[in-house]
Amino acid sequence: MNQSQTRREFLSRASGGFGAVALAGMCSELQAAPDNPLSARNGHHAAKADRVIFLYSTGGTSHIDTFNHRPQLITDHGKSITASRWLNKSGEFNRFLIKPRYAFKQYGQSGTWVSDLFPHVGSVIDDVCVLNAMHCESDGHDKATLAAHTGSAQFSRPSAGSWVSYGLGTVNQNLPSFVVLAPAAPYAGAQTWSSDFLPACHQGTHVMPGTEPLPNIRPRNANTELQQMELALQSRLNQAHLAQRAADQSLDARIRSFETAFGMQREAPEAFDLSQETEDTLRLYGLERGATSGFGWQCLVARRLAERGVRFLELIDVGSSGNWDSHGDMGDHQRLAKAIDKPIAGLLTDLKQRGMLDRTLVVWTTEFGRTPFHLQADHAGREHHNLCFSSWMAGGGVKGGIVYGQSDEYGILTSEDAVHTHDLHATMLHLLGIDHERLTFRHAGRDFRLTDVHGRVVHEIIS
Amino acid sequence: MSNYKKAARQCVIPWGIACILLIAPNCRAESDDDFFEARVRPVLVKHCQDCHGAKKQEGGLRLDSRDAWMRGGDRGEAIIAGQADKSLLIKAVRHDDPDLQMPPDNKKLTAAEIADLEAWVQRGAYDPRRETATQTSEKMSLEEARAFWSFQPLQAVTPPQNTTDHWSRTPLDAFVHAELKKHELSPVADADRRTLIRRATFDLTGLPPTPEEIDAFRHDESANAFEAVVDRLLKSPAYGERWGRHWLDVARYADTAGDGADYPVREAGKYRNWVINAFNHDQPFNEFVREQIAGDILALNGPAEKYADRVTATGFLAIGKRYGYKPSPDYQYLDFGDAIDSVGRSLLGLSLGCARCHDHKYDPVSAADYYALYGIMESTQWAFPGGEEQKRPSHFPPLVPPDEVAKREKAKAEELARMDCAIAALKRQRSELDPDSLVGGADLGFEAQQSGKPPGKPWFSAGPIEVTAEAQSPFDHIHPPGKLGIRLGSGKPNDGLRYVFENGLRAMPDKQMHFTIDFRAVDANEKGAFRFFIGRGVVESLSVECSATATEFAIRNGSNWEVIRQLTPGTWYTLRLTIDPAAKTYSGIIGTRDDLIVFQDKQTGPNWDGVIDCFICDGIGHVAGAACARDLDNLGLRETAFGAPDSGPVAPRSVEPDSQLRIAALDVEIKTLTERRQAASTELTYPVAYGVAEGSPMNSRIQLRGEPHRLSDEVPRRNLEVLGGEVVPAGSGSGRLELANWITRPTNPLTARVFVNRVWQWHFGEGLVATPSDFGSRGAVPTHPELLDWLAGEFIASGWSVKSLHRLIMNSRTYQLSSVDHEANLAVDPGNRWHWRYSRRSLDAESIRDAMLAVSGRLDRNVPESHPFPAVDTWAFTIHNPFHAVYDSNHRSVYLMVQRNRRHPYLALFDAADPNQSIAARQPTTTPTQALFLMNSPFVHEASDSFARRIISLSGDDQAKMRWAFETAHGQIPEDTIVRDAIAFVSAYREKLAGNESIAEKDIAAWSALVRVLLTSNAFLYVD
Repeated sequence: MNQSQTRREFLSRASGGFGAVALAGMCSELQAAPDNPLSARNGHHAAKADRVIFLYSTGGTSHIDTFNHRPQLITDHGKSITASRWLNKSGEFNRFLIKPRYAFKQYGQSGTWVSDLFPHVGSVIDDVCVLNAMHCESDGHDKATLAAHTGSAQFSRPSAGSWVSYGLGTVNQNLPSFVVLAPAAPYAGAQTWSSDFLPACHQGTHVMPGTEPLPNIRPRNANTELQQMELALQSRLNQAHLAQRAADQSLDARIRSFETAFGMQREAPEAFDLSQETEDTLRLYGLERGATSGFGWQCLVARRLAERGVRFLELIDVGSSGNWDSHGDMGDHQRLAKAIDKPIAGLLTDLKQRGMLDRTLVVWTTEFGRTPFHLQADHAGREHHNLCFSSWMAGGGVKGGIVYGQSDEYGILTSEDAVHTHDLHATMLHLLGIDHERLTFRHAGRDFRLTDVHGRVVHEIIS
Repeated sequence: MSNYKKAARQCVIPWGIACILLIAPNCRAESDDDFFEARVRPVLVKHCQDCHGAKKQEGGLRLDSRDAWMRGGDRGEAIIAGQADKSLLIKAVRHDDPDLQMPPDNKKLTAAEIADLEAWVQRGAYDPRRETATQTSEKMSLEEARAFWSFQPLQAVTPPQNTTDHWSRTPLDAFVHAELKKHELSPVADADRRTLIRRATFDLTGLPPTPEEIDAFRHDESANAFEAVVDRLLKSPAYGERWGRHWLDVARYADTAGDGADYPVREAGKYRNWVINAFNHDQPFNEFVREQIAGDILALNGPAEKYADRVTATGFLAIGKRYGYKPSPDYQYLDFGDAIDSVGRSLLGLSLGCARCHDHKYDPVSAADYYALYGIMESTQWAFPGGEEQKRPSHFPPLVPPDEVAKREKAKAEELARMDCAIAALKRQRSELDPDSLVGGADLGFEAQQSGKPPGKPWFSAGPIEVTAEAQSPFDHIHPPGKLGIRLGSGKPNDGLRYVFENGLRAMPDKQMHFTIDFRAVDANEKGAFRFFIGRGVVESLSVECSATATEFAIRNGSNWEVIRQLTPGTWYTLRLTIDPAAKTYSGIIGTRDDLIVFQDKQTGPNWDGVIDCFICDGIGHVAGAACARDLDNLGLRETAFGAPDSGPVAPRSVEPDSQLRIAALDVEIKTLTERRQAASTELTYPVAYGVAEGSPMNSRIQLRGEPHRLSDEVPRRNLEVLGGEVVPAGSGSGRLELANWITRPTNPLTARVFVNRVWQWHFGEGLVATPSDFGSRGAVPTHPELLDWLAGEFIASGWSVKSLHRLIMNSRTYQLSSVDHEANLAVDPGNRWHWRYSRRSLDAESIRDAMLAVSGRLDRNVPESHPFPAVDTWAFTIHNPFHAVYDSNHRSVYLMVQRNRRHPYLALFDAADPNQSIAARQPTTTPTQALFLMNSPFVHEASDSFARRIISLSGDDQAKMRWAFETAHGQIPEDTIVRDAIAFVSAYREKLAGNESIAEKDIAAWSALVRVLLTSNAFLYVD
């Protein structure tokens, strides 16, 4: 774009000016300029999904106690086996098979097996594609967390949400493109949603459930007229400043950021305010009126943000302690599943009722699964297991009511249609209309991708 | 075709026979070429080359040309022509070895395909495919490297001499001017003085100029007015705080370790302060680098006053992201990887880390180069910051020389011994006064224990054991009559009871030791023995051992058991021992009131060291088998004799009133002294740094694919081949000193170029080489190569003086240009690569915060004390419960606590360096969340309030105040219409304020609002 055009465009917008617009309270109509890295754009091919809601369970959810029904494991409970790899150590280890703690039932028309941990998810399973042959490289929490989010277990790299924001931008400039709703940081901390070398406007905006989910979102003076006066004067100063410097787009971007921020002050609290939701909706998410936290709150806020155009939403259920890492007692899974089962089912149901599920890709995943065996027979806990675990996808162009991928009879190794974390990422991008091999960013002399040099789109699960 | 089929059929038979048949003439009949083209090439293309070809080289192996497979892969030779059985390729396709199965994942070739490959190898592995240029990697050879710009020696450059150049003021300008001319660009006008002093002040100090400083410069009519400003700024301590921060970006500085638990590093700040001081003192850059790599070695031979600083400097190596839970080789390869990569990027502009898994794909750095440096790192002792498994720091290098360390350690040991003596003496005094402890310590009669439970402290117990009234001994000649004793069930051999005497006895001349206990067997069901161990430690040094079954009692005489008497189950016995440490003998009595048996002149344990401080009763005695259940009561140990049964308690419970006061006083003394001893024992007697020291010199082996357990050849510790390849001489230590010298010798083409380019980048926003940490083939080429070499040459000639370099740059006309737009230039060079103007820059995180604190009068210019981390003896951080803190302060932002894993919220929001890796350039962003911080954060509001109070306290009218406010915040005074607009804003705002506030409060609120506008507007946030 040539400079004079930018300048003309800017001046025409500035003539209405921030002050005037702000005073009129009409910020939400502002569209991003085409050169805005966040402006909405199309991917490489026709998209099946417009947005992603990425649900992440921290700690490593057991696959054989949730979605991977292994009857032989029940039959052979207590038998000793030789595991050739255990906790990524090579060599041979004698271990005892441990049957699932929770019973399985078939749900829906599809008859998909789901354990008693997720009866509500079971009730909507016909919309879900279960992936029972997931695998990844690392059995350490921080590395596997990073791998699930950035594709790299070792080096700091941009998060999937940042890549999506970078690739597609966002339609609502009054809200960030990539929002992370999490009561606590998972293992790798903010690196999990970092934009790393991508432009920082693509980084996840971390929102902590609570009474002030976005820091500094509330004007310090209740009288918004006063703040508008301030911003109007600031705008006049900035315009006078810009008049001599019209070619500098970063000055313009800064001015625009105040406009968005002002928009967020107005729109974000409203987006986070559940008071207008009906009792029926709250009940769907298992939410009590007035609640400002809990996974139900996160799910419902996610739906509201999705409705308002946020491109990528990540919901993390628990932080780096008290999570799914049930080394000591698989009974812990009960409490953790209970906290997310109904909210997730509610989210899927709600999205479907509102006609949004078709265009919203919902993904649930975790670091890794848990060992179907243990050093001690009858031990109550399970260890980390990255060689085979379960995840699922729903909506957004994914076939519902199917199970893709098989493990061996015990859930130790993948046996058919294995899906690596890279493949999951490739498929997510594909559904959004992005070719994962072509979404690149040049950094330090190399073109980087979310999927590094890997990744296979799992076409078999795409409707 | 029929021929092929026939051959194939024959080859499908089992291997042993096939092997013989394959050399048979009928197979041979097919020409090598035909055989390869028809049956080998298709298999390789279809099944192998996706992973072993141009795109990927799994296992370091390529199968797309004869040259490639002849080089082999990580596991060595893939194909040995004529020897199918010995060829890894054949083993792999046969799936013989569970660790080597190709193609992987159940994609095994058909038997026919395998047989074809076997036949092919057996016949000599004829392969017509030769490597073409495009097949070989894009890696630069050493030959090519010598021709590549960045590896060429620095050129002696003469600045362009152009008589028509009336624009240039310095040689630097002449270089720039030549390029401007070439690109038909005309430089814009010089910046005005207000702009210039604001630019220079933020650039060199990260702070805004005060109105006084602006005034002084504006009115300085001398020819070197600006040079004087630069000199003044370079002398300010704020200079080091600003430029030290630049280096800390490169050095990946953080105050926490960065593993999952993110342990705090209390000593990190010493390295930060060292960096700041080095810039302030204009330490020659080559020394600055040498000390960061080998300061500990240099310190040994340097002046004493530099010792601490030099060791501290090695923090550069240690301060990177750590990966380990404990100091263990299992994790260190990642730490070393960080150090090698950081040395490469920060000092040499080379991404050495790429060579960890394979030869660098583009640059002349081999895996051997990487592991040559790895050996240097592995020969180094690294400070361990603390981690999930080892929760305490260790191996922090001392800041005093080794002899001083030894001296202080010795003095400390002596001091601790002195304190131990003093504590023991106090305890002895106390026990003489306290009848309860006279017999050995508290609670030897079990009376303070809770009935129905195992005994609590100071007892230690295991197995079935219970304090109970039923176990009360009938004897009262040791302790006064009591109500409780202890019952031990049968249990396992090691189950039992232990007591450690607080006042253990040591052999003293002319003193005996006396021990007593009452006991009985509760039942006679179990036939095994239980024992009494009396001696030092947990069966460490045996003095006397007695053993009893339900029916007999034995003692150990020297090494032999002697049965002394029979026992009746259920009957209480009292045992008394008198031990003579000098003679190593003991005697005793055992029995009931009416039936006492005496034994004499028995030998103590042959290896007894003369100390008794421990009593144990467990199930290991002179008769094997499960010990019988038994009751115990009334233990005693002291230096004077115990009485006979019925002689009355030796320890009457009455304490003289003045003794009680004295005991209380002694207790306080003992407690105080014990605490002091505890503190003294954990206290380091010398200061330490987070750095490195010399370890054991060793060469490392190449790790195939970067996997530490797949070791290949050993590589000698040496310089990078492209920089000379010299080997670390034997006997010279880790090689860090040599590495430091190689990096900083003037013939190294990279170090000076890389640093000069960084300084240029920090002054202008972008380097002459736009990729400041990548001077390799994938990096950018310099826009002004001659200027870069000239600057590097001048830099070295100045004695690597960074301040001289600043002067060289800042006194140029190029630096002093205005940043205004210029339509024609913008069309040609919108990014200002050719420096036709000065590029406007946004303030970085630290500058925004520091400038706000400065103009509000709240900035604390002192160097703060260390961070208020929790006390080290409380550290229990884990990956589940990591360390996390944000500490408020009004000091300069360089001193904020930089957390690696959960970043400081403000620093992260405004794009400060991510300390997880060496940062070449910050990526400034502009986000609405930043705007929210500027609009609504308490920090900005507090700064604005303070600034407002400063304005209100000024004399003069609103006009004067407003002009001062603008000048302080923006360095400029705007035209009158804007000043009037702003004054009108303050009054309108004041009017709008509702109700109750006083006029003074309204005044502050209105001016504070005005200040917020100033501090968040672009004239503040950007520097022209």
